[in-house]
Amino acid sequence: MAVENRTDNDPITWLHQYGDALYRFARARVRDSFAAEDLVQETLLAAYRSRDGFSRQSSVKTWLTGIMKHKVVDYYRKLKPELGDENPDQFAYSLDILFDKHEKWKIKPGKWGGDPQNVFEGKELMAAIETCLAEMPKKMSLAFVLREKEGATTSEISELLQTGKDNCWVILYRARMLLRRCLEVNWFGRKK
Amino acid sequence: MPHWIFSCKQITGMISESMDRKLPLGRRMGIRFHLMMCSLCRRYRQQLLFIRSVLRLDRQADDSASQTLPGNARERIEKKLTDEMPKDAPH
Repeated sequence: MAVENRTDNDPITWLHQYGDALYRFARARVRDSFAAEDLVQETLLAAYRSRDGFSRQSSVKTWLTGIMKHKVVDYYRKLKPELGDENPDQFAYSLDILFDKHEKWKIKPGKWGGDPQNVFEGKELMAAIETCLAEMPKKMSLAFVLREKEGATTSEISELLQTGKDNCWVILYRARMLLRRCLEVNWFGRKK
Repeated sequence: MPHWIFSCKQITGMISESMDRKLPLGRRMGIRFHLMMCSLCRRYRQQLLFIRSVLRLDRQADDSASQTLPGNARERIEKKLTDEMPKDAPH
């Protein structure tokens, strides 16, 4: 096998040229910086092992990004057993207590105020959001962040989390309800 | 209840879903009609949009900070790749 172009085949060069881009791609999809580092490593290793399959019809970067996408799906698949949100009743309860028997608000949404454009306030709010998200099942908070922060579509999220679209809407709804309530109690409640 | 009348609980679900996809006309009208009369659901909707704007701004902040692969991770990966390479080298 002839090596026509060294840079095409050298994973160290890939690391230097595309390491940051791959890392950013991973960080936007998994919330954990260490997991993102591992994904970069696994991607480069997998790319190196399958370098003969690289057709050169696409750029190296596109090829590496394609491999990374598969690694991200694998990451979520491995996560599945410990996601622990297979019990919907637990969340049905925390939703039900917000409404009376006519399904009108019983625990009424309060006045919030606040301005996310204000940089300092935005940062503090973001920290409060992170705290609330940490209390949610992982799959729920991941779906929520992918949607609201990264702007991913529900199709993309369903694919990553290996769940149906209908289920994805339900997960996002519960995440929003829980987060809204959590912020109201722990952030806006405390501010007064 | 007529089919276009929804409860607050139903509306909260529909508002959430409307943030992820375009709802059929009937349900969109149901939301609009409900919001005209219900200040609490209006507030709920504003709060969801508020949360979204906080997260989108955080995304922008991340972008301008342009994250890079941390140096120690880079070294670790480089070592791992170097370890991998000789095994494949032709003897």
